[in-house]
Amino acid sequence: MAEMTAAALVEFQDLAVSYGPVQALVSVSGAFLPGPTGLLGPNGAGKTTLLKTLLGFLTPDAGRISAFGLDPISQPLEVRRRIGYMPEVDCHLPGMTASAFVAFAGELSGMPRDEAISRAHEVLYYVGLGEARYRTVDTYSTGMKQRVKLAQALVHDPDLLLLDEPTNGLDPEGRTEMLDLIRDISARRQMSLILCSHLLRDVEAVCENVIVFNLGKVAAQGAIAELTGPRRSVFEVRVKGDPAGFLTDLKDHGCEWTEGEDGYRVFLTDGQGPELLFRTARECGVQVRHLRPGTQSLEDVFLSALGHQVQA
Amino acid sequence: MPIYDQTYRKYEARGPMRSVRFWPITREALRLLLAKKAFLALWAACWLPFIGFVIYLWGVTQFAQAPQVAEMLPSGAQVFGRYFHFQILLVFILSTFGGAGLIANDLRTGGILVYLSRPLTRRDYVAGKLGVLLGLDLSVTLVPALLLYLVALGLAPDRYLVWSLAYVPLAITAYALTLSLSASLLLLAISALSRSARVAGIGFFGLIIALDIVRGVVGAIYRWPGAILLSLQANVQAIDNALFGIEERAYSIHWAYPAVVLTVLGLACLLILRTRVRAVEIVR
Repeated sequence: MAEMTAAALVEFQDLAVSYGPVQALVSVSGAFLPGPTGLLGPNGAGKTTLLKTLLGFLTPDAGRISAFGLDPISQPLEVRRRIGYMPEVDCHLPGMTASAFVAFAGELSGMPRDEAISRAHEVLYYVGLGEARYRTVDTYSTGMKQRVKLAQALVHDPDLLLLDEPTNGLDPEGRTEMLDLIRDISARRQMSLILCSHLLRDVEAVCENVIVFNLGKVAAQGAIAELTGPRRSVFEVRVKGDPAGFLTDLKDHGCEWTEGEDGYRVFLTDGQGPELLFRTARECGVQVRHLRPGTQSLEDVFLSALGHQVQA
Repeated sequence: MPIYDQTYRKYEARGPMRSVRFWPITREALRLLLAKKAFLALWAACWLPFIGFVIYLWGVTQFAQAPQVAEMLPSGAQVFGRYFHFQILLVFILSTFGGAGLIANDLRTGGILVYLSRPLTRRDYVAGKLGVLLGLDLSVTLVPALLLYLVALGLAPDRYLVWSLAYVPLAITAYALTLSLSASLLLLAISALSRSARVAGIGFFGLIIALDIVRGVVGAIYRWPGAILLSLQANVQAIDNALFGIEERAYSIHWAYPAVVLTVLGLACLLILRTRVRAVEIVR
């Protein structure tokens, strides 16, 4: 943790936040490193609560949180100035054109008016709304509203971008374009971002690190590559013959498995090797037709972190 | 070509934080309002009483003989108080059309998050919205009343350019602020309680009218002068009468009572605003 937090943009330690009697965050600790980080978890896991605490909207009951070395509770304006927030919910100002809206957002972030207007046009072109920038946002489609929300978060060139469910309500093509845009912001513009989502594929497509929340606690965190990297104990297996006995015997040996499109993914326990699979197959009278070391997917990590056991 | 091939410049010119952070909120809302022709027409209509009073002053001073002028022009500062009587209802109407959606629309469209996720405090947000209404209301109370004072000085200096009326500009300012602040705070509070500008507008104007009817009924039944304390319109008119020396039997109560009522109302509105803006942050 000490290593991890050395260059962290945001750190939180033993953080507890509650809404009256409801504990939304229960003594959570972690850090957001520079680069793209995914914030995963089911609804009500505490993701948005963490973002709102980071923005200084909520005061923690206990623990501490810091962003860029600043305390969002005592210095909320300084912190918000360096953050761009794209909320999950629809947000626009009625009657305003996109260019006026984004320029206004820049001004609210402290930019001089002329600079804000000039950058609003650039950012709207960047997110693909250049041609529609003089239309009022009320007339935009859902996809265009998502883009204008992204533009208002980008206009003041924040050090950290908070994206709360950025692909909500988008069709597959719009979703791909939005993810491309986010990837570009992170890769080409070197902007750190926190992608808060319940869609594993979105996080996998964009992020290098992930923090998984469940029931107000950090269930898992780290680099996605490390969390899902090759493990000796995961194998993709395809057998010929009746697999029922084979799988039952594997369960008796303490292994777990999931059914894939074409075979099974078997999770061996520590100390077990592929020879167990061959031995069990021989004993059950089935042939192993395919065996390959597998990798844990982010979904496996997510389900495991949430306490959902793979079939056993 | 992928859409993101287009790029934008890096912005590295972060200066010190603005000291007056609410101003862009006020300015932008006023710009949007004044871009509507119907609203501009309404605003212009609020100047009609001023034009009427100027014509009246000019007519009396031009065409009446010296002793008649004294009879036709109200004594002392009353002419300004009478002018404000006309403005009370107009201020409520202008506020309703200009400000009912100021917070309600932000709650409906999520626009409030655009403000609150920026380097702004809740106080900046409320001050920005209040600035819109104060700007509108003062533009049809303070500005024309001061102009009317200047017109009166020019047309009838022997009646108005006297030491005993030197307090009038201060009285005009105090009253315009009282009227504008009362209407603005109440409307903002009601706007913060709703997600619909229409509901907020009807709620505000309906409340003003309903309270005035209650005041009339209670006053008629019980013959109690304190009944005026039930109505916002009557409270501000009582202050108006006290400041400009107008005597009306219905408003015979001491001005301190309406002043206390208006102060309590203002504080209650601020409390509602504080609670509602905070609640939005948490609930969303």
